[in-house]
Amino acid sequence: MLYTLSTYSQVSKVEVTTNALGNFELKRNGVPYYIKGAGAKDHFDLLVKSGANSIRIWSTNNNALLDSAHHHGLTVSLGLHVRPERSGMDYNDEYAVKGQIEYLKNEVLKYKDHPALLVWGIGNEVDLRYSNFKVWETIEILAKFIKEVDPNHPTMTVIAGIDPSKAFYIKKYCPSIDILGLNVYGSIENAGANLRKFNWDKPYIVSEWGVNGPFEANTTSWKAKIEPPNGIKADQRQRRYLELIEKDKERCLGSYCFLWGQKQESTATWHGMFLSNGNPTEAVDVMQYCWTGKWPQSRAPSIRNISLNNLGWRKNHMLAPSAQSTLTIELQKYNNKEVIVEYLLFPEAFSNKIGGDIQKSPDPIKFKIVKQSDTELTFISPKKKGAYRLFAYVKNYKGQSSVANIPFLVE
Amino acid sequence: MKLTTQIASVILVCCTFSCDSMREVSIYEPSKSISAFEEFPYKTLFTNSEENGIWGVKNNSCKEVSFETTNNFTGKDHLHIKWDASKCNYIALGLKWSNYKGKNLKPIIKSTAIELHVRIDSGALSNVPMFFVLVDYAGNQCRANINYLNLEGGRIDTEWRRIRIPFHAFNYEKNGVNMGNIKELRIEFQRKGDVHIDNIVIVPHEHNYKKTKETFTKVFDSHPIQLGSGKEYWWGINTKYSSSLQFGSSFKNESVIIELDKSKKVPWNTFGFSPFQWMRVDISSIYMTSALTFKLKSTELPKIQTILFSYKGKKRKLEKILNESYYVDKGNGIYQAYLPLKSLIGYNEFEWDALKEIRFKMLKGTKVEIGDFQLIEFRGNPKKPTEWKGI
Repeated sequence: MLYTLSTYSQVSKVEVTTNALGNFELKRNGVPYYIKGAGAKDHFDLLVKSGANSIRIWSTNNNALLDSAHHHGLTVSLGLHVRPERSGMDYNDEYAVKGQIEYLKNEVLKYKDHPALLVWGIGNEVDLRYSNFKVWETIEILAKFIKEVDPNHPTMTVIAGIDPSKAFYIKKYCPSIDILGLNVYGSIENAGANLRKFNWDKPYIVSEWGVNGPFEANTTSWKAKIEPPNGIKADQRQRRYLELIEKDKERCLGSYCFLWGQKQESTATWHGMFLSNGNPTEAVDVMQYCWTGKWPQSRAPSIRNISLNNLGWRKNHMLAPSAQSTLTIELQKYNNKEVIVEYLLFPEAFSNKIGGDIQKSPDPIKFKIVKQSDTELTFISPKKKGAYRLFAYVKNYKGQSSVANIPFLVE
Repeated sequence: MKLTTQIASVILVCCTFSCDSMREVSIYEPSKSISAFEEFPYKTLFTNSEENGIWGVKNNSCKEVSFETTNNFTGKDHLHIKWDASKCNYIALGLKWSNYKGKNLKPIIKSTAIELHVRIDSGALSNVPMFFVLVDYAGNQCRANINYLNLEGGRIDTEWRRIRIPFHAFNYEKNGVNMGNIKELRIEFQRKGDVHIDNIVIVPHEHNYKKTKETFTKVFDSHPIQLGSGKEYWWGINTKYSSSLQFGSSFKNESVIIELDKSKKVPWNTFGFSPFQWMRVDISSIYMTSALTFKLKSTELPKIQTILFSYKGKKRKLEKILNESYYVDKGNGIYQAYLPLKSLIGYNEFEWDALKEIRFKMLKGTKVEIGDFQLIEFRGNPKKPTEWKGI
């Protein structure tokens, strides 16, 4: 499909410029282009309908995604997967380094003329728990190569939050990098100010942002991550976009919210703006509001609070085996007259994976329900001791959903 | 004539007549050398299913293995495997490799490679998520993956493509694998895939790549140490956005003038620097007898927080708010601060071989210039830093 497009004449010229106010700006074919983007692999129709104009993908292993994005009128920030040290890559190993570089150069040549291409994302979070700063040499070699063979697309490298040493290394060792990509969750609050303090003098893209990640979350006494209800997470997204991202007109070229899809990261619902069954959550409505200034006509219901035996979601919840307990949710229905509520119990999914590394989802387990309503569930706790997590799912007749959960320990 | 004399005469005559057809041989000519590769007896891992043992060929919900007899690269059949790792933690095939004989790879590590041929049924790929694992008789394992440099044509497609995995590319040193006693080769599969594999053999191979040992570490083992030399290694001073912090010039080495803009809601009151060029600074041999010292120029002592960061470890941050007991009044508004590293709470959990940054936060004060940062020898009471006679 990639090659059948034969659209070399449609290659977009994308450049980083400064406007009359002295602010950095991305221009696509001579027209200012502010990135309203999402980390996304599907749901492109809804993405476009919600007001987005770009997607970010993390590697070149699926060329159909670029074609599909182009078909939907979306541009692509295309990732070149530079292996992070934490995956076993040794940047002191000349053979491994050279092999990776030659492979990625070939990928650049393959995709450089794709009409959907907006920006090259060279590496994603290679700095996360790294120890060998030589990785920046690889980033620069690739960025420099892109400058030689593809004058039409700017180069970006994406890091897991900013600190002064990373800013120094990229500035000094990667002069061919045009844009800094920042994956920032909790640290988005000070990211703009910190960039300026750490002497980064080029523009940036908020390449991943959203709610505070599991790695930043409080944990229970048995180390289960405490996830806020979706309603609270949606409010956090809205504030961060409007007050932090959109307001930095001087340096920020736009953003990619995370994640326009679903993934397991501590829980199945932490970062995803969709559920595993494909239903959109209220986070999708929030992004439409952020991108267009208008809420969708039909809004997802939203769980604002959740408690177990009258104890809030921030607390430790210990239950006796086979004991009757009550889960309560507070719900904002918006314009939905009726909602459907479902409760599912899972074993706790402890994982020591970090960054975006793949985690496996647990399967739900059967449990005894005594009675349930739209806002309350009375159930019998499992007989077997261990760590569990009880989820409440709410949806309207269109499938627009919300979710919240509480971890508990049976002891 | 005796029989022995007759035989000797015949041999002599035969030799005499055949001399002009004999090659001249130097008695010093060495015998032809045999390479380590030629001497290595276990060169074949798989050419067909009848002759070479493989385990892990039983099909399950995650993998489907078959021996196909058409379109082989060599031999009577080849291996075809389809896998999907989304529901399995581990998918692998094991090559018994000469029926698990202990193999000494040491003589051939640098001169040979595992070679195999691979194809797929349709399309083209740049990589396949399959990994090669050598297992020794103690169960230790080392790994290597497919490298673009040794992938024929840079792609895997419907043609049989040659792949080589040099033995030197395995991380055997790091994982403590005994390359003198290798039991088997495993091929592990991740994510999802569908490939045909044939002719897994050992071949001569030149591997001219090095492994360096760069650590980006600067070791200091004696005092004094000048810290933060070079303004490019400092942060927090950006006059485009704030005039609260500016580089000063009152001292011999780098200094910062702090004059907080109190009208700002969020004060620009923090700066920091790398002790040495943003490398890991290793002071592990001297930190017990070290103190951070710096000069301060002010009409009154400010409230300053000092924070040390490490690149690694569980405890990456040490902090201290300096009160007047850390300063010596040198007169004319100049003070000298002494902060023994042992006075920092949690100093023994901090990884002193990877010191990253020294940061200062002005909590309270008017105009201050602070600079000339050094690490000096300190052998006094860390609780009474200014009372040590050595300073």
